[in-house]
Amino acid sequence: MKAFVEHRWGPAFAGLLLVVALGGCLQLAVGGGLISPFVIPLPSDVLAEVPSLFTEEGLAHLFALTFGITLLATLLSTVIGVPVGLFLFRQRDFGQAYENWLGAIFSAPVILLYPLFLVVMGRGLHTIVVMSVFVGVTPIILSTYRGFLSVPPVYVRVARSFNMSSHDTFWKVLLPAALPSIFTGIRLALIYAMINAVAIEFLVSIGGLGFLVGDLYDRYNIPGMYAAVGFVIIASMIFFSGLEWLEKWLDPQ
Amino acid sequence: MKHWKTTALAVGLATVVGGHAVAADLVRVASSQRGFWDQTLIQFGDDAGIFDKHDIDLEILWTDGGADAQQSVISGSMDVAVGTGALGVISAWAKGAPIDVIGASMTGSSDLFWYVKADSDIKSIADAAGRTVSFSRPGSSTNLIAAKLVAAADVDAELVPTGGPAATMTQVMSDQIDVGWSAVPIGLDREASGDIRIIASGNDAPGVAEQSVRYHVVNRNFLEQNPDVIKRFLAAYQETLDWAYDSDEALQMWADMNDLTMEEAKSARDRGYPREALQPFPIKGTDQNVQEAVENDRLDEPLTEEQVSEFLSTAEEVRGSSSE
Amino acid sequence: MSASTGAVPGPIISRVTVIRVVTLLAVWAIYEAASRSGLFFEGVVPSSFVVLRTMFETLASPEFYPHLFRTLTEVVSGFVVGVVAGVSVGIVFGSSRLIAGMISPWVNYLGPAPKIIFLPILLLVFGVGMGSKVAMAALSAFFPVVIATHAGMRHIPPVYLRVAKTFNASWHQIVTKVYIPALVAPVMTSFRLAIGVAFIGTLLAEIKLSNQGLGYLIIQHYNFLRIPEMYAVLLLTFMLAVAANASMGWLADRVEHERH
Repeated sequence: MKAFVEHRWGPAFAGLLLVVALGGCLQLAVGGGLISPFVIPLPSDVLAEVPSLFTEEGLAHLFALTFGITLLATLLSTVIGVPVGLFLFRQRDFGQAYENWLGAIFSAPVILLYPLFLVVMGRGLHTIVVMSVFVGVTPIILSTYRGFLSVPPVYVRVARSFNMSSHDTFWKVLLPAALPSIFTGIRLALIYAMINAVAIEFLVSIGGLGFLVGDLYDRYNIPGMYAAVGFVIIASMIFFSGLEWLEKWLDPQ
Repeated sequence: MKHWKTTALAVGLATVVGGHAVAADLVRVASSQRGFWDQTLIQFGDDAGIFDKHDIDLEILWTDGGADAQQSVISGSMDVAVGTGALGVISAWAKGAPIDVIGASMTGSSDLFWYVKADSDIKSIADAAGRTVSFSRPGSSTNLIAAKLVAAADVDAELVPTGGPAATMTQVMSDQIDVGWSAVPIGLDREASGDIRIIASGNDAPGVAEQSVRYHVVNRNFLEQNPDVIKRFLAAYQETLDWAYDSDEALQMWADMNDLTMEEAKSARDRGYPREALQPFPIKGTDQNVQEAVENDRLDEPLTEEQVSEFLSTAEEVRGSSSE
Repeated sequence: MSASTGAVPGPIISRVTVIRVVTLLAVWAIYEAASRSGLFFEGVVPSSFVVLRTMFETLASPEFYPHLFRTLTEVVSGFVVGVVAGVSVGIVFGSSRLIAGMISPWVNYLGPAPKIIFLPILLLVFGVGMGSKVAMAALSAFFPVVIATHAGMRHIPPVYLRVAKTFNASWHQIVTKVYIPALVAPVMTSFRLAIGVAFIGTLLAEIKLSNQGLGYLIIQHYNFLRIPEMYAVLLLTFMLAVAANASMGWLADRVEHERH
C-alpha cells in the first residue's frame, strides 16, 4: 500500500478510479430513480452525447474560438501592459500613484460591467475580447512594474561600471531580471481572460464553449450540456497544464 | 425611513386581516418579458385581487426568457410557466420531461414586428440578404418567427440573438444590427416619430396566424397532486383575460408600467394583442409546431398522431373540468 | 538621479497626490465628453451627474434594500459554507497523502475553471431560489480556501505533529491545537479572494435567473433600458465589492497583529 501511495502515479490513478466509481454510483442512483434524470442525467447518456458534440455542434471549432479569444486578449494585454508597467517603473511617482488603484481594479468584479460593454460596444466577439483585455491588463502592468522594481540595484551599478549603454542595460540586464515576474503576470492574465471569456460567452450566448453550455441548456439537451461542461473543465485543464509546462520549459529553475 | 415603517405596518396588518389569504393555495408562476401585455397579465390579475378570489396565492418569478421559465418548471422549482416557447415545450415533453401543456398563451404573432432605421435601404425582409436580422434568444418564439420570415422571403440573412426589445433597439440605432425585433408597445413611439420603419409583422410569416406559439405549462407532479388548484388557476386566468379586455383597469396598469398614455396603450393592445389571440383554447397549429421542431433540431423525429393527442390531452382534461 | 522612495519630505502636496488628482479629473472629463459627444446612442453613456443623482435616488428608495439584503445574505451564507468546506477538505488533504494525491489534482485543475458554467447544473439541482445562489457562492469560495489550507498544512513543521503524537493527542486536539493555529494566517489571506469570487458568483447567478437581488436589479434595468439606474446599481455593487475586499484585508491584518 505504501508503495502505491509513494509511487508517482499511484494516487493520481486512484483519483481517476474514484471519478469512474462516482460515475458508476450516479448511474445506479439515476437509473434506480433516486435522482431525477432531468436534474442529473445518466452518466452513460452524457457520454453518449460526446460524439454528437463534435459532429453536430462543432465542438472543435468552438474550442478554437474560445482559445482564440483568450489568446488574442492576452496578447493585447501584454502589448499594452508591459510598456505601461515599464513607464510606471521609469516614472516612479506615477508608479506609486497608481499601484494601489491597479490592485483595486484587479480585485474588482469587472465582469459585472458586461451589460455596460454590451450596450456601448454591441453584442459581438469583439466585446468579449475588449472585456478580457480590461481584465488581463492589470495583472500584467502590476507584475511588470513590480518585476522591474525588484531588480537589485547592484545589477544596474555593475552594468554601469562596465560602461554599458542604457539601451544594453535595459535589454541585457533589467529586462531578463524582471522577466519571471512579467511571466507571472501574463499567466494570471491568461487565466482571468479565459474565465472572463467563457463567462461572457455563457451569459450573452455568443462565442465558443461558454455559448455551447448555455445553448444546450436552452435547447433542453441536458446530457449534452453536462458533456459540454465536462469539456470546459477539460479545456481548462489542458490550458493550465500547458501553461505550467511552458513555464518550466522557459525557466528551468 | 418613514416609508419603511409604514410598509412594515401595512404588511403586518394585511397578513392579519387577510384571513382569506391564509386559506389560499400557493402557485409559483414563472414568466418572462415583464412589461409585455400577455406575459404580465398574471401580475395585473394578481394585483386586482382576481387570483385571491379563487383562493390562489401567486408567487411570480420573472425570468430572462422562455427557456429559463420552462426549466424552472421541469425541475420543480416553479409550478407553472406562462408564455413559454412552443418548440421548447414540445422538445422537452418528447424527451419525457414532467411538464404538460394546460393552454395556449399566444396564438399567432400579432405582437411582434421587425423594423429598420428610417434611413435604411431595406424595405422588406427580401432586401436583407447578407444583413443581420435579430431575435431575442435561441429557442424563443421570436427565433422561430424570424427564421420563418427569412425562409419565406428566400433570402440569405444572418439571424442574430440580440436579447430584449430595448437592448435590440439600442443595437439597431447604433448600427450594430440591421433589422431589429420588438413587441408592441416598445418602439411604437419611434415609429410615430419617424425614427424607425416597420418592415414585417409576426403574422406575415406563413401559417403563424393560426399557430399557438407560446404555451402555459405545468409541472406534472404538481398537477397530479393539486388538480383542483390548477383548475382554479386557469379559471382565475380566464377571468383575468376577460377583465383585461372588458374594462380599462389592466390597461391603466400596463400604460403606467410602460410610460404610455391610455390612448396609446389601447391602440397598442388592440393592434398587438387581439382578444382572440390570447385565449387559452383552442390550442392551434400543433402539427406545424411539431414539424418546425424537427426542422430546427429540437426533435429527432416527428411525433405520431397518438403522441400529439397525448400531448394535448392534459389541457383538454383540465379544461373539461374547469369550463364554466 | 537617485531613485526616490517617496518618503523624502518635500512640498506640502506630494507629486503622487497631484498625479492621482489630475488622473481622476482627466478620466472624469473624458467620460463627460464622451457622454455629451453624441457618439453613442442616447442615454447609453449618461452624464456622471445623472448617474450620481440616480445613485442617491436609488439609495433613498425603500425598494432597493430588500434586494441589497438578499444579495448580502446569499454572499455571506455561501462564503461561510465555502470556507468551512474548504478548510475541512484542506485539512483532510494535508493529513492524508493518499487522499491528497487522489483528489487534490482535480481541485487544482477545477480551481481556475470558470465556475459560471456550473450554474445551469446548480439551477437544476438547487432550484431558482436562494439555494442556487448560495451554492454558486460556496462553490466559488471553496477553491481558493481549500488550496490555501492545503498549502498551509504542507508548511506545518512535521516536528509539531510528532510532539503532539508523543503527548498522545487525540485527532480533535491535533486539529484544534496544531492545525488550526498554523492555518489561521494562510486561510485568512485567502479570504480576500474567496469573498471576491463569492460575490461575483452570486451576482452572476442573480443576473442569470432570480427575482431578487442586486444582479436581478441590474439585469432588469438593462432589459428596460433604464441606463442611469443600471449604472447606479453597478456603481453601488462595485463599492460593496471593494468594501468586502478591504474589510477582509483589514480582518486578516488584525488577526495577524493579534497573534504577534
